[in-house]
Amino acid sequence: MSTLKKIIHSLAIPVLVAAILEGLCLTQGQNIITNAKSFDNFVVYTAIVMITTMALSINLNSGRFDFSLGSMAALSSVIGAEITYSALAGGKGSATMMLIVTVTVGCLLGLISGAIYVALRLPPIITSLGVTLIYEGIMYTITSGKYLMKEVQNSSMSAFANTWVYAFIIILVVLIFMVVVFEKTTFGYDYAALKSGQKVSINTGINEVKNALICYGICGALMGLVGFLNAARNTTINGGQLNFGSIAIMFTAFLPMFIGGYISQYCNEKMGFLLAAVCMSLLNSTFAVFQIK
Amino acid sequence: MYLQIVFNEAVVLAVVATGAIFIYTLGTFDISLGASTLFAATLGVTVYNKTESLTLMILVLFATGIACSLFNSVLASVFNIPAFVTTVAMMSVLSAIASQIITTDGGALGGISIPSSVVKPYSGIGFKAMLLIIYFAVCFYVFQLTKTGRRMKFIGGNPLCASLTGIKANKYTIIAFTMAGIGVGLGAFLTLTYTPSVTTQTASSIGMNIFIAIVFGGMPISGGPRSKIYAALIGGFSYMLLNDILEIVIDSSAAYGITQVISALFFMAVVYITSMNYRTQALPR
Amino acid sequence: MKKRFAKLISLALVGVMSAGVLAGCGNSNDTASASKDGIKIGVLVADVSGEEALGFRNYYEEYIQNNYDVTFEYTDALESAEDEKAAIEKFTSKGYDAIISLSSSDRAQQIETCEEYGVYYAIASGVLDDEQYEQYKGYEYFVGQIGPSNETEFEAGKAMGEYYKEQGISTVAIYGAFIPNPMHVYRAAGIIAGLGDTYGGTDDMNGMIGQIFGDQAVDPSKIEGDVEVVAYLQGYGDTTTDELNAAIQKAPEAFLSVGMATTFFAQTLSQNDIQFADIDSFTEMNLDSMTNGTLTYLAGKYSSSIGPVFALVMNAVNGNVIRDNDGNAVSLSQGYLVATDVDSFNEYYVTDNGDTPIFDKESLDTIIGDAVTYDDVKALVESK
Repeated sequence: MSTLKKIIHSLAIPVLVAAILEGLCLTQGQNIITNAKSFDNFVVYTAIVMITTMALSINLNSGRFDFSLGSMAALSSVIGAEITYSALAGGKGSATMMLIVTVTVGCLLGLISGAIYVALRLPPIITSLGVTLIYEGIMYTITSGKYLMKEVQNSSMSAFANTWVYAFIIILVVLIFMVVVFEKTTFGYDYAALKSGQKVSINTGINEVKNALICYGICGALMGLVGFLNAARNTTINGGQLNFGSIAIMFTAFLPMFIGGYISQYCNEKMGFLLAAVCMSLLNSTFAVFQIK
Repeated sequence: MYLQIVFNEAVVLAVVATGAIFIYTLGTFDISLGASTLFAATLGVTVYNKTESLTLMILVLFATGIACSLFNSVLASVFNIPAFVTTVAMMSVLSAIASQIITTDGGALGGISIPSSVVKPYSGIGFKAMLLIIYFAVCFYVFQLTKTGRRMKFIGGNPLCASLTGIKANKYTIIAFTMAGIGVGLGAFLTLTYTPSVTTQTASSIGMNIFIAIVFGGMPISGGPRSKIYAALIGGFSYMLLNDILEIVIDSSAAYGITQVISALFFMAVVYITSMNYRTQALPR
Repeated sequence: MKKRFAKLISLALVGVMSAGVLAGCGNSNDTASASKDGIKIGVLVADVSGEEALGFRNYYEEYIQNNYDVTFEYTDALESAEDEKAAIEKFTSKGYDAIISLSSSDRAQQIETCEEYGVYYAIASGVLDDEQYEQYKGYEYFVGQIGPSNETEFEAGKAMGEYYKEQGISTVAIYGAFIPNPMHVYRAAGIIAGLGDTYGGTDDMNGMIGQIFGDQAVDPSKIEGDVEVVAYLQGYGDTTTDELNAAIQKAPEAFLSVGMATTFFAQTLSQNDIQFADIDSFTEMNLDSMTNGTLTYLAGKYSSSIGPVFALVMNAVNGNVIRDNDGNAVSLSQGYLVATDVDSFNEYYVTDNGDTPIFDKESLDTIIGDAVTYDDVKALVESK
């Protein structure tokens, strides 16, 4: 297939979705994107969906079902917000510091989750259920079950959420990072080998444990990023999510993963996830048009 | 008294999860069973309130449970859509429709109900235990003593080999989901015998607890030949018992978060110990 | 070897479980006898994280528990009618003397369960539907209910609407929070009525709420009147940010919420200089919003408002089951406190915190005792 045909096929679904949804919105006398703020929201949500989908796909593609994504995002953002607030009290540079701390904590939480899986050698779906409950419990204990508000409501965080530029940069960075790490490194080659033939790969000397731990670490860091973006977008973090209250975020990533998987027949898989996230974000903006009365 | 409470809490989970064993044996899963139970109970109560016929209500409970499950199986087997996609979608759709009916009909009460006197004769432990035994016996027979059960395990263990030997996976997927649908209908009935009202959160915890119950009962989540029909029964009751014991043992003044952490650690420790016999060198998936 | 070890461990676990059950059963007797020394009250809760819920819990566990010979045990977050019934059964099996309910999945079922087990029961911070109250008011173990009635919720919304109408506002946006939650439906209907508008051609409470339950939302096209509702949104999810943005674009003069706006939207509304009103609680964050001038109206419950219910239960357990003048379970409505400026906010915020709650020991002692009557309780509740 020629490059041009690949590009056309790759863009077909997002363009078609945009055309249909815009047509639907026009019946209401509106557009999908109504103003600059609406565009900011669109880009931020695209980043959230894309990153969550990538995080989900890392383990799911390897047959590891992970329920703990939402709890990692929530707990890392809670810890990030608390540490940042105690250091800067909502002052200048809060957003940058929280971003760094949240991603680092997310990575650690991911590694802990991976370590539990590796150490117990239980199916990941099971360990992730336990990890979800543990992280939710810790989060509840830290926040006393309350919403975090003052910790994330400051001018620095507002400045971050009030423009599409930062979210766009994050999308680019994550996209490049994921493509490079999973397609241009030894880790990525091992990951692909383990994905398609676990026993054969192990017999050829690939260290599965190390590979799995890195996967969980990256997954955690990505969910930390999602936690940060959600905190900036929502201006609050719900610290009272118990009894699997945090897993809903994972379900939002199934459909884009499915769509992205289809699109990736014609382009890079990670690019497919981005285009699928654009579709989901368009859909989200359209829902908003129909819901506001 | 406390064992009676545990029984009432666990019986619905055990019934629905026993039906779900058939699905899990095939190496797939259904996360919408809790929502199906809610949906079936909602339609059952609505039909009773319109007709005042208990028989019709029970028929609707089972018909709805089976219909929801069959719809999932058709999507999964005929259209080859992954079960985690279809069942997640079904979970949202069924919950949304049930919520619409409950909040519209329930109005200021926030829920819908039938008179408690209607189900009172069926609320005794003896009757519920009898239903559980009958349903379990049927499942046991199908799972352990028929070709159907053996072939399901074969498909779950090695779908390619099963297919090459001429076993049609689609047929067994539909049978598995039907068995689960019967469990949903029975679960909805047992829910109503305990509390004859339905709110938007009725049976909400079942979806996730099914995973826990099955694993707790010693069955691998990947299904296949090591699947055990009694896993949900043992797991469901043990898990509820464990939770209730923890409730007693852990100081009531402890915060909710800490209680949840301890409960999760205990859960993982128990599963770790009970699964010691089938550790593999490669990481499990 | 490995298999045998696993079996041994499993046996040990079974042993632990059995011991636990026995311990639980033993507990039942222990607590029953312990109740002679102090009263044990189980509290049913659905919300374990809201500011209001945490305030209530703090009042019972810190203030009341320190001042009276009573122990409270709270449930986990109860999600359904099944959870509520199981929680009552567990409290009963442990020999608890009474149940106070802050959970409302199925209150009728709660009353029937308590009646079946012979344990005193009261509803705090809410009341039964009128029809249900009529059905259960004569139950022996139903002590009573003290809290905002549905009419009070409607009136709270109405007062908010009237306040802004009097301010001369001509355009508003309404946030319906979690409609069709009945409490939010009544408040939303009240706001519309308070603004002087009609919904579906009526400003009658029952006529409005019936339609809102049917619509599952407030439909602005059905609102007619002097004050225009330019935008309406409800719920909280992925589309909320966009919906709020669209509402802000319509430039309403005020943003009126039936609940949770102080948590979800305070910062965004503040950035856009849109004043807002909410029905929430008197918290530090809300004080900040009121101080910076964005929050201009707050109707709230105070943490110690659940004090009189405790007094009713305490009396019942001690043998003085108070009945109203017709011999029925006590039913008293509690209103909301309203703050429209920092001073009035501070008055409620400071007063009801820490060691000096509005319903303090001194005032509660006037309605705890063998000689206390319905009129004493009524007088105290209505005085605050």
